[in-house]
Amino acid sequence: MNFVNKILFLFLILFANYFAQTTLQQQFNYAVSLFEQEKYFDAITEFKRLQFFDKENQFTFESNLLIGKSYKSGAKFDDAIKYFTLAEIASKNDEDFYQANIFNARANILRKTNNQAERILTDLLNDKKFSSKKNEINYWLGWNAIFSDDWKKAAQIFSENNLDTALANLCKSVDEEFYSVDFAKYSSYLLPGLGQFYTKEYVSGVLSLGWNILGGYLTINSFVEDRVLDGIIIGNFLWMRFYSGNTQNAEKFAIQKNLEISNQTLKYLQNKFAGEKP
Amino acid sequence: MMKIKIFVLSVLLTFPIVPQEIDFNLPHNIKLFADFLFCEKDYLRAIVEYKKYLNTTENDTVQFKIALAYSKMNEFNLAFANLEKIKRASIFYQDGISEKLKLLFIQNNDSAFYQFAKNVVSSDIKYQKLYLCYGLLNKIKYGDKNKFLAAFDNEEKISVEKFYEQKLNPNYKSEVLAGILSAIIPGSGKIYTEEYGDGITSFLLTGLFSYLAYTNFDHKHYTRAWIFTALGAGFYAGNVYGSVASAQIFNAKVNFEFENGLKLYLEEKNYFIPEYEFCK
Repeated sequence: MNFVNKILFLFLILFANYFAQTTLQQQFNYAVSLFEQEKYFDAITEFKRLQFFDKENQFTFESNLLIGKSYKSGAKFDDAIKYFTLAEIASKNDEDFYQANIFNARANILRKTNNQAERILTDLLNDKKFSSKKNEINYWLGWNAIFSDDWKKAAQIFSENNLDTALANLCKSVDEEFYSVDFAKYSSYLLPGLGQFYTKEYVSGVLSLGWNILGGYLTINSFVEDRVLDGIIIGNFLWMRFYSGNTQNAEKFAIQKNLEISNQTLKYLQNKFAGEKP
Repeated sequence: MMKIKIFVLSVLLTFPIVPQEIDFNLPHNIKLFADFLFCEKDYLRAIVEYKKYLNTTENDTVQFKIALAYSKMNEFNLAFANLEKIKRASIFYQDGISEKLKLLFIQNNDSAFYQFAKNVVSSDIKYQKLYLCYGLLNKIKYGDKNKFLAAFDNEEKISVEKFYEQKLNPNYKSEVLAGILSAIIPGSGKIYTEEYGDGITSFLLTGLFSYLAYTNFDHKHYTRAWIFTALGAGFYAGNVYGSVASAQIFNAKVNFEFENGLKLYLEEKNYFIPEYEFCK
């Protein structure tokens, strides 16, 4: 084989390989460009096209991860989780595995399947291979606590090792602002209307107190006057109805107010918080 | 000679690699990808790809699959419009009719269903099954049971016969009887309509207020006596009215369960349309 033939042979092989790779690589680049332009529907189509023709699974991990991210951006969390799981299966190294799992956990946080998110993140945290990523994993555990409505736990996680002071303070303030549901309920058992006063529902508190005083007076008065049956009837149908209603009402107010506080903070985090979000 | 050998060898070696270049826009490749999406149940993307394919090639299978994809997405009007495009000569023409009948059935549009069914039912017995079931759902009384069941095969007959019997003799409760029973013994109308808890409560409350009214009159506590009389009368009247309403609710439940059961059965049977083998 002379020199020219050798060159020709080499050239043909290189040229062929170049074509084989470029079409898939070009397709991948095209899909990525769509993803970067936030054209998620088209990006998913092109990634799926790439996967269909990528018989050697060269792009399986990347395409699955980006399909997952696209679905996540479109709030299609079920689909996102499916593709993050496929990315995890196709991961080629620890970093790929980690990325797929973190995105899976983030999609689970947004979907509010918080137990699932916690399981994924805890598994990563316990895996010695990812000990250098401890802070990032804890950061998402903190967000998971926020979405589980456990602001106290979130504040604890964010304040450990000064993970995120701003978020820690915010979560702490929310936790402090929260009304105690148990206090609202049980204080109303002791003094009807107290739970409502505690949750700043003054009109409702006064009404509760008034109805209970009236019911109590009529009931006790009936017993004092030896009208036992009247006492039982009024006590059961009037007083007890207002008494139990008053405790339920106080509990409901506390839950409702806490929900309002949570939602306001989540809205703030969604629109104003500059750091990374799930 | 050596040079030729080397050249042939180099070409042969590179040959399996060169065809790996993929033209994603080739109609054949578009169709392959669309079929993949269709079987993955990603119907919206499958439709986009199939339409791209149809821009280059006429294909009734693809046209039919577009209609099926729209149908799976509950876009019934679009599915119907695409089925209309299937020509009489196509092997999917008959399936198209079955699918159209199914779409009209799901949409529950009486006039459109009967107008369409009138023309096709006489042409082929296979369309009759859905037509007859639609009648069961829409207050049509079929006289002869054997004649009704003749269209169905033996396995189907067992289930359809049950629905036919339920339609013919529904397990209704009489509203009038429920009212009368409750007027005689408070709560008995509710027990008749199988609302046992409500029936016992009505009986006890009406009885209690009547007793309280009686004892208060007896002890000359007239104000309280009249209050309990009013309460007792209210409970009594409410119990009679409630029993009639309870019978109506019971009957509505019977209708609902019948319709739901039949629809579920038809869904399981894919509306008597054989499964297509597009994804096998």
